[in-house]
Amino acid sequence: MANNQGSLGDRFAEITVILVTVVALAAGWFFKSSIENASIPFEAEGITAQAPKGWLNFEPSGEELFRAVDRNSSGFGTTYVIRQIAVTSEATASEVASAVSLGHAQDLLGFSMLDQQEVRDINGRNAYMLTYAFVESNPDVTHAAIPSVVRGADFIYVSGERAIVVSFQADEKNYDLDLGRFYRFLQSLNFS
Amino acid sequence: MSESKSIHERKHVWRDEILLIVVMCVFVGIVYALDGALKPQFTPSTLLLTGVFLALVPAFIWLVFFYLQDRAEPEPKGFVLGVFALGALFASGVGIPVVEGLFRVSHWLYTDTLSKIIGGILVVGFTQEYLKYAAVRYSIYNSEEFDEPTDGVIYATAAGLGYATVLNINFVVSNGGVDLGAGVIRMAVVALAQAAFSGITGYFLGRAKFESEPIWWMPLGITLAAIFNGVFTWLQVIVTQPNITLSGSTTPTWMGLVLAAVVALTTTGVILWLVRRSINSLQAGK
Repeated sequence: MANNQGSLGDRFAEITVILVTVVALAAGWFFKSSIENASIPFEAEGITAQAPKGWLNFEPSGEELFRAVDRNSSGFGTTYVIRQIAVTSEATASEVASAVSLGHAQDLLGFSMLDQQEVRDINGRNAYMLTYAFVESNPDVTHAAIPSVVRGADFIYVSGERAIVVSFQADEKNYDLDLGRFYRFLQSLNFS
Repeated sequence: MSESKSIHERKHVWRDEILLIVVMCVFVGIVYALDGALKPQFTPSTLLLTGVFLALVPAFIWLVFFYLQDRAEPEPKGFVLGVFALGALFASGVGIPVVEGLFRVSHWLYTDTLSKIIGGILVVGFTQEYLKYAAVRYSIYNSEEFDEPTDGVIYATAAGLGYATVLNINFVVSNGGVDLGAGVIRMAVVALAQAAFSGITGYFLGRAKFESEPIWWMPLGITLAAIFNGVFTWLQVIVTQPNITLSGSTTPTWMGLVLAAVVALTTTGVILWLVRRSINSLQAGK
């Protein structure tokens, strides 16, 4: 009877198992990335972007041109919103930001501004960034749950007589993990 | 290993596996019936504790059978418990953080059929099966106590049940408790499935140690177990899909248990046949 305990063949087999597992996990990572980065084109009012594929898309309504929610997020569904707000040609991004934050304070429960500053976005465009938090009181109506804390970031661009507000909102637990994907969405955003 | 020691088939190992499947189904039936009849009211704490208790039941049942029947040539209980604990430790320390934290499978795995199968095999399957393999390979495998091909199945099952126990406890804790009826079915499904897939890895481990197998033998074992794992996850989603009717929706949770029991029984039957064949060939070659 062969007992190849600690034999060279045994060690090679062990290394092969590790290699096969690493290759499978690497393939899994690429597969995951291909699903997460899959996108569909969005275009409205001269604004184009590559929107996440497989998310729940809402019909445009009022100022809101685009709203997509990740159904697979735990807690509050990670949400991307694009809004177009009519402004005067003299309006500055910081003035628009004040109006946007006032709107949030009226609409969102427990709204709290975390930071606001002028930034250059991932494409080198000038923008005004607001970061904030609020409480989603009933994220899932099918069962009782403790309210979730949601973090958000708005990027405000002023272009002629309109301001474009691109929002990212995610459950506090998912915010940092989902931010990278949102930056790719922001990178794909174009407006004339 | 001593050459004079005779290799034989431990029939009770198969009885233990089959009894685990049968008793788990009976246990689930009893808990389900009691839940329906008594409609117990839980506080959040007692709900959580009940869930954790239920998560421990499958492993407890298997270990009791094993302890009662493994008398002819007993396997050291400390080693069996040690491998069980190692499986549990790998699940909580590596498996769950990798699958849930690093790969965040809940965000993309259920997107479509392809993602369920491919992701289920490559990420969930390989992570779980490698860790259960590692729990045996880097502990008992090189010990004198691992002295028969059947030991691969015994220790891999212990590692699988350890892994399943932590998966179930994690589910209970992250949900702040579980509905008693549906919860006990889920726990039985996870335990039976993990034990069955571990059995595959265990068979390959047993043969790898006692027969001169080629270098691809063990990777093939892990890959097969991972494929079974991924396909099972996909099938489970299909058979437990909610049915929407005019009077509301119903989720056939029981179908998940039926599927798990069928998969576990079939896997045990196939492994039993393969191990018998392996032992016969080893005895004939002596």
